[in-house]
Amino acid sequence: MSWALVRVDDRLVHGQVLLAWGGRLHPRRIVVADDAAAGSDWERDLLVSGAPGVAVQVVTVAEAAERFSAEASAEGAAFLLLRDLGAALELVRRGAVPARLNLGGLHYAAGKEKVSDYVYLDASDRQAVRELRAAGVSLEVQDVPSSRAVALAELGVEEAR
Amino acid sequence: MHADLASAMVRAAETIYGPVEDLEVLSNQGHSRQSLEQEIARRVERWEGGGLLLTDFWGGSCHVCGAAAARGRGEVLVVTGVNLPVLLDYLHNRDLYPPAELAERLQRKGVESLRVQRGTPA
Repeated sequence: MSWALVRVDDRLVHGQVLLAWGGRLHPRRIVVADDAAAGSDWERDLLVSGAPGVAVQVVTVAEAAERFSAEASAEGAAFLLLRDLGAALELVRRGAVPARLNLGGLHYAAGKEKVSDYVYLDASDRQAVRELRAAGVSLEVQDVPSSRAVALAELGVEEAR
Repeated sequence: MHADLASAMVRAAETIYGPVEDLEVLSNQGHSRQSLEQEIARRVERWEGGGLLLTDFWGGSCHVCGAAAARGRGEVLVVTGVNLPVLLDYLHNRDLYPPAELAERLQRKGVESLRVQRGTPA
């Protein structure tokens, strides 16, 4: 069944992913696609040790894109975690296009405007949203599986032109 | 810790231990990985003799950000899975042991605190 969850969340591996989504979908593998984490032995070890019992791989976005289609037909469920919309767009530009992209945590930072309690976007995020939509990706805001998935378009984020 | 758990746990501990001082609480609510790490680092950098970060569970954002914030700051350790017995043991012993020894003690206390009382026949 492979990619059970492709998620943008600035916290990467954390409780909602491990306990809420993990408890529902039972991933065998979690792929963290993040250039900064992949470039740091220490950060990689921290993310791997954070999820006992699940095989965590920390790779660059480019490496994740290369593996995307092979993983799509692999046995068992897998999660793909991305830190921000820029990383999601890079994944798509490299030819790895998920049908659905879960927005689970893009928290406040200077210059970002509130879209929901846990999604804040700035101008470059909105541009990434337009390009992701144009590539056919459906964007949904949902923190945990027990809450309702809301299409990003329903939250007043402009449609692709 | 998540939501209001840290402040609630301290309030509960105070009903048993009495007033608690020199213990800061922090919620991960609304924080990104970066901002939570910064909030923890801002506190940890003042600890000259090291100290402990008490968090709710292993693999959660408080653990991950705590480990990142504690990196390179001497004897600062993260203890995960903290419950009320562990917090009370921390309060009673924090002045008696250096951080690493105290962390090991709390780990044992946490394991010992989880027990099952089985039903007995009438």
